[in-house]
Amino acid sequence: MKEKLIKLIADYKGVAVEEIASDKTFGDLGLDSLDIAELVMQIEDETGVEIEVSPELNTIDKLAAYISERQ
Amino acid sequence: MLNSTLCTLLGIRYPVLQGGMAWVADAPLAAAVSNAGGLGIIAAMNSNGEQLRAEIRRARGLTDQPFGVNIMLMSPFAAEVAKVVVEEKVPVVTTGAGNPSPYMKEWLAAGIHVIPVVPSTALARMVEKRGACAVIAEGCESGGHVGELTTMALVPQVADAVKIPVIAAGGIADGRGMAAAFMLGAVGVQMGTRFLVAEECTIHQNYKDKVLAAKDIDTVVTGKRLGHPVRTLKNAMSRRFTEAEYDSSLSNEEIEKMGAGALRRAAREGDTENGSLMCGQIAGLVHEAMSCRAIIEEVCGDAEKLLKGAGSWVK
Repeated sequence: MKEKLIKLIADYKGVAVEEIASDKTFGDLGLDSLDIAELVMQIEDETGVEIEVSPELNTIDKLAAYISERQ
Repeated sequence: MLNSTLCTLLGIRYPVLQGGMAWVADAPLAAAVSNAGGLGIIAAMNSNGEQLRAEIRRARGLTDQPFGVNIMLMSPFAAEVAKVVVEEKVPVVTTGAGNPSPYMKEWLAAGIHVIPVVPSTALARMVEKRGACAVIAEGCESGGHVGELTTMALVPQVADAVKIPVIAAGGIADGRGMAAAFMLGAVGVQMGTRFLVAEECTIHQNYKDKVLAAKDIDTVVTGKRLGHPVRTLKNAMSRRFTEAEYDSSLSNEEIEKMGAGALRRAAREGDTENGSLMCGQIAGLVHEAMSCRAIIEEVCGDAEKLLKGAGSWVK
């Protein structure tokens, strides 16, 4: 799941996967609340898992664990 | 009479919402709009829970019609006021400046109609999935906090993205704007600037005079560097702010400080030089102070005439 999310965010930002650190916050990755809404809807459409957006769920690592627990 | 699903949904006569403008949208304005058949909205802005509760109760004393509360999600008291709207059984909650998802379950369980302001189709889809009964698609022509898209571009895209009713906002102040919004796929409109100068609006007369005198090119967006752009009338304050944003020797915190209290200074103290006069681009066609009832009846009456006459465009 983590690799999938890294790829999704790298594609979204138009950068190489190596540039996306999974322990950085979404804010530090340069994503604002509208970017997050866009990505969350894409991830929900693909995984079927509803993601409860919260300030704590703020890194790829945490989001990957969240989705894996619910799949 | 306009025929809109929004009226049935919210129990109102006219499909017109009054924007939840901070330091402007108080109980007297919201009640006047609701008494006139629209949906008045109290701005929770940065109030704490008890301040908002008092304002809700004040509105209840002024109207027996439905009204709403706008919750600004960036407020330090957002969680607190989110509970107060449940306790006070407010029929409608609109939200701005963020993603309301964390609060929605609680509001929906309390039977509240949740109508978020959305600046993108993804956020519109997200809140629809979480149970919103409608969305307000607000273009960057509006005053106050703005997104990137215009009303013309945003409304039809949101209307295509969701099945729930769409309310158009940003740049609408007359029947033409309302009729156009319906053509774009909206079933109602939200207006802010037009109600800024309503007779029942309690802001300082100096602020109203500036809005009434404004021309088409008199607004500007500041605050992009800080990540929350705001549209205001051009004045000394907006010029200083713009200069500061281009000054790399200043930190974001220093710039942020410049804006603190500026809206209150404009709305309540009438300081039109050092205050922040939030106002939409459509101010240029707002020339007259009228009652909320006269505004709503004029806008809806004109929209009705235009929509009835729309067949003349087709051979």
